Amino acid sequence: MSETSPSENRANAALIGTRVVLAKVGLDGHDRGVKVVARGLRDAGFHVIYSGLWQSPEAVAQIVADEDAAWLGISLLNGAHLTLIPRVVAALHHIGRADVGLIVGGIVPPADIPTLKAAGVRLVFGPGTTIDEITQALSPPPETPLDLDLLCKQSHQHDHVSIARLLTAASSARDGEAIRTRFAATDPQATTMRRIAVTGSPGVGKSTLIAGLIKSFRQRSSCRLAVLACDPQSPVTGGALLGDRLRMADSVPHDNLFIRSLATPSGLQGLAPNLDVMERILAWSGFDLLIIETVGIGQGEIAVRELADQVVLVLQPQTGDSVQWDKAGLWELADLIVVQKCDLPGADGMLADLREHLTRADGSASPIIGVSSHTRAGWDQLITSLG
Amino acid sequence: MITAPSTAEGFPSAAPRASGSEGFLSAEDLAALNPPPVIGTPGEFPFTRGIHRSMYRGRLWTMRQFSGFGTAKDTNERFRFLLAQGQSGLSTAFDLPTLMGLDSDDPRSSGEVGRLGVAIDTVDDMLTLFQDIPLQDVSVSMTINAPAAVLMAFYLAAAEERGIPWDRLRGTIQNDILKEFHAQNEVVFPPKPSVRLVIDLIEFGARAVPQWNTVSISGYHIREAGATALQELAFTLSDGRHYVEETLQRGLPVDAFASRLSFFFNAHNDFFEEIAKYRAARRLWAELMQDEYGATEPASWKLRFHAQTAGCSLQSQQPDVNVVRVAYQAMAAVLGGCQSLHTNSLDETLALPSEQAVTLALRTQQVLAHETGVADHVDPLGGSYLVESLTQSMHTGARAYFQRIADTGGMLAAIEGGFFRREIAESAYLYQQQFDRGEHIIVGVNRYQSDEDVRPEIMSIDPDVETDQLASLRRVKNLRDISDVARTLDDVRRGAAAGENLLPLLIAAAHTRATLGEMMQALGDVFGTFRFAEQ
Ligand SMILES: Nc1nc2c(ncn2[C@@H]2O[C@H](COP(=O)(O)OP(=O)(O)O)[C@@H](O)[C@H]2O)c(=O)[nH]1
Ligand SMILES: [Mg+2]
Repeated sequence: MSETSPSENRANAALIGTRVVLAKVGLDGHDRGVKVVARGLRDAGFHVIYSGLWQSPEAVAQIVADEDAAWLGISLLNGAHLTLIPRVVAALHHIGRADVGLIVGGIVPPADIPTLKAAGVRLVFGPGTTIDEITQALSPPPETPLDLDLLCKQSHQHDHVSIARLLTAASSARDGEAIRTRFAATDPQATTMRRIAVTGSPGVGKSTLIAGLIKSFRQRSSCRLAVLACDPQSPVTGGALLGDRLRMADSVPHDNLFIRSLATPSGLQGLAPNLDVMERILAWSGFDLLIIETVGIGQGEIAVRELADQVVLVLQPQTGDSVQWDKAGLWELADLIVVQKCDLPGADGMLADLREHLTRADGSASPIIGVSSHTRAGWDQLITSLG
Repeated sequence: MITAPSTAEGFPSAAPRASGSEGFLSAEDLAALNPPPVIGTPGEFPFTRGIHRSMYRGRLWTMRQFSGFGTAKDTNERFRFLLAQGQSGLSTAFDLPTLMGLDSDDPRSSGEVGRLGVAIDTVDDMLTLFQDIPLQDVSVSMTINAPAAVLMAFYLAAAEERGIPWDRLRGTIQNDILKEFHAQNEVVFPPKPSVRLVIDLIEFGARAVPQWNTVSISGYHIREAGATALQELAFTLSDGRHYVEETLQRGLPVDAFASRLSFFFNAHNDFFEEIAKYRAARRLWAELMQDEYGATEPASWKLRFHAQTAGCSLQSQQPDVNVVRVAYQAMAAVLGGCQSLHTNSLDETLALPSEQAVTLALRTQQVLAHETGVADHVDPLGGSYLVESLTQSMHTGARAYFQRIADTGGMLAAIEGGFFRREIAESAYLYQQQFDRGEHIIVGVNRYQSDEDVRPEIMSIDPDVETDQLASLRRVKNLRDISDVARTLDDVRRGAAAGENLLPLLIAAAHTRATLGEMMQALGDVFGTFRFAEQ
């Protein structure tokens, strides 16, 4: 993936980190435009969450709520804008995010633009628009004062919009300290919320694994589940294209499932800032289970140890990954080692190798499980091990 | 010096386009090419100069405008209009629900029924679509992919019910699922069973519908998604190779089906590069068919292609200018030796084309064919220093891509690893960055803008279409024998699990008035579903 070099970096300090959801609704599969815009906004410093194809209006509203987006861009080339956009607007109203800045991109006949604007669309971009024209139109969210008491009360009642606002505020320069103080007394370890951290190198299949866990846990019980997915942020522009959610959420939104993507600056051990406070907020909001996805290999897993009750290290066959983990001496931190993608060749050999080598000094060993998200092999054992 | 854009890993993603340091090439440049170009003679292996010796002197290309909207009855009227205007073949556009294998009464279809094409739910809709059109005389093309086997079953069942023998039917079904995974995204099942359905249709067609083109291996959509001309060429031919290899696995000899494979390319703006792309495609395919797959019939070596002018090059500003773009693009396709051609209508960035705009697009082809004189000459650019060297660099670049795909473990591994999507997204973003910097001039958009707000008359879809279609679907459902439907759907499920060729089972289901959505669901019960995981 190419990023612009520092010299052509268009990032504007005020915009950096502005959260934008880009979404495709309906059956329309044309995604050239939305993917180009996603990359362009990332390179301009935005934190971009792309929904993927075929979303329902309700699912899009849910993404906007959980991600606390300032802007929502809907891409439509199927001629169904007059049907679908009003439904998106209705879903946003219903969820309490009618305030999000709604823009539409794609093929919209000029005669339809007034109708869309009357429905609440702020801007419509057609073919031939430059990325600069879009970034200039997307101002940072207004700096409205937080009503902390109200947000706390509503998040306790499991209101996604309030929970999401608090999570944003936890990392804001203005409110971060107030939030930290406010939640100092909520100790996640003292609540019933379980915390599982899933860690491993990029591309090993963490997000896909979490998608499977979400499904399994939700089938088993009506537990309230939150996911914090950390994805890297560009050190050059501060922008990020947060892609984990795309793999995790199915298109039917659930009130009991909350997914939040977090941009992670390099040098923070693979963890987004203020995760400790965020955990407190989620515990206060009544979640039963929190899954944290962390990026990269490195020292982050030491920090993650403090933030999780169980640490799951994910590996995949044929990458030589395990050598690095071995060198880093991090085996011992993992409560469970999962070899993902066991449908690929080399999995059996890798499992045998690991079992042979991974015994701690005291003779104990973390369980090692081979799974495949594609074939679901090993899945029952994984769920049992996670309790 | 000749330079080409490259991908992140440093591989060239586009063929070089500059012609020497001074802007022209000479005989020495051509002689210095290594490997040397293979120019040859029109109508002879490797067909760089065209698949026929006489080309358009013998027979003009087929002028085939893609159309479809609303209900089957609406599209039937448009078809008859186009035939009356002198169009020589029909081409069907289906609506998004049909393309995604959903019935019009599925909640996910709401708002999209009949909007971008015609809605087809059952064989009765297919009968209405071609009512009073002599299917034994008119060649029909159907742009459908994930549910292609089901739509083909509708078509064959309809022919049967009208008493037209299958060996009289001529036409093309797109049936190219690989480019959907790379670029156009209209997929329903995971890659493996999706490809199996494609091959079922190729295999069945080779035996039962001998004049039908059972796949149209398409670069068009790959290009529209942002690929370069070289990527379009290389990925399309790679897809073709995969279909050939999979069909050979069924035990069919290569010469039994190769002549029914057809291609579909984009006709984009860069005039000479496009011509070179078509010429290189023919040569590459002939070489592959002969050397790698051992085809011995000349018909198996010949790459026949349909071309469509580039939808993504159309602009909504000053839409009349689109007519000029389309004319040049069409000329490139003709100088490149296409067998059939669709010219876009000037209003397509705004809505579905109006009757007036479609007529003008068709007239553009007619002027090209009858007034410009280009059809009187066979491969008029053959031997041009520029075109031959561009053709050669397309050829070399495509071969390099074949190698990279093989290195990632072949077609399915490359799809699963996101290779094609990454390559295409990369090129699309590169193009956007160049556009943003003003490196591409688009008349009326970033140069020569006009304040005049010209709005061509656009066609709007009758809002009653959805209600009408739902009512006719309800009528069909009320009249059918549900136990027949259930039995044939069970057969489809069983056949899908057993690895049988599914066409006979789908045709049987079509006769009972099983719907598209029901058949796709039966297949999905066995095949599972698919979602794209980006990045
Ligand atoms: N073969 C195979 N591929 C998988 C499996 N699980 C995930 N993948 C693929 O691995 C790639 C990376 O997955 P992702 O979950 O995004 O990895 P992450 O970066 O660790 O979160 C994707 O292309 C997935 O489709 C599996 O069980 N088998
Ligand atoms: Mg991930």
